[in-house]
Amino acid sequence: MKNLVCIIITVLIIGVLLIAASELPEFGNPDNPELNSLSKGYIANAMIDTGAKNIVSAVILDYRALDTLIEATVLFSGAIAVMAVLKGIE
Amino acid sequence: MHDLILKNIVKFITPCIQLFGLYIILYGHISPGGGFSGGTIIASSLILKHITFGQSSIPSIFRKDSALKLIGFALILYSLMKGYSFLGSQFHFPHPPTGVPGNLFSGGFILPLNIIIGTIVSATIYNIFTLFVNE
Repeated sequence: MKNLVCIIITVLIIGVLLIAASELPEFGNPDNPELNSLSKGYIANAMIDTGAKNIVSAVILDYRALDTLIEATVLFSGAIAVMAVLKGIE
Repeated sequence: MHDLILKNIVKFITPCIQLFGLYIILYGHISPGGGFSGGTIIASSLILKHITFGQSSIPSIFRKDSALKLIGFALILYSLMKGYSFLGSQFHFPHPPTGVPGNLFSGGFILPLNIIIGTIVSATIYNIFTLFVNE
């Protein structure tokens, strides 16, 4: 029974993801929206929006700050995993 | 280690490395650099000091137990600040001033976030080193 529920949920998730993938715009098409606006917008507006001269810092710590948070968490949990393997959990 | 030349050179060079790492962290929003690279530089200076003078020369906040607390506290602080920033832009909470681009105190939350990331990275990398060294 539990396996059957798992199989049904998995098939549903795969179906939803495939439907979403089939709706994506064609790869490499120059008219795709994400190829045009975002990078130019960052270059033009980063200093006005955030007040930082370094655009890389503005992107990783302001626009994409959650990504940096998870990066630091990944580093921390990697260190904890190495600690647990080498020294044992106390 | 009982090498006179090594001890004297490390005594001289460690504050220079730490000052350079602090510069890279604090000026991360103005010049190239940031929390990750500056934290790695500070961790390298700590590793050099550990190799030369032993574990007792490292500040106790970087040792295993207090470092775990420090990193957890820093991650919570980061999440609170960035969550406030994301929600605040949605609901028009007061936001720290962006200041004049190019000044040290500009860029809103970027400077404290860089300091937090530098703390996390330096403590983590130094603690990974201490796992592999023979006491």
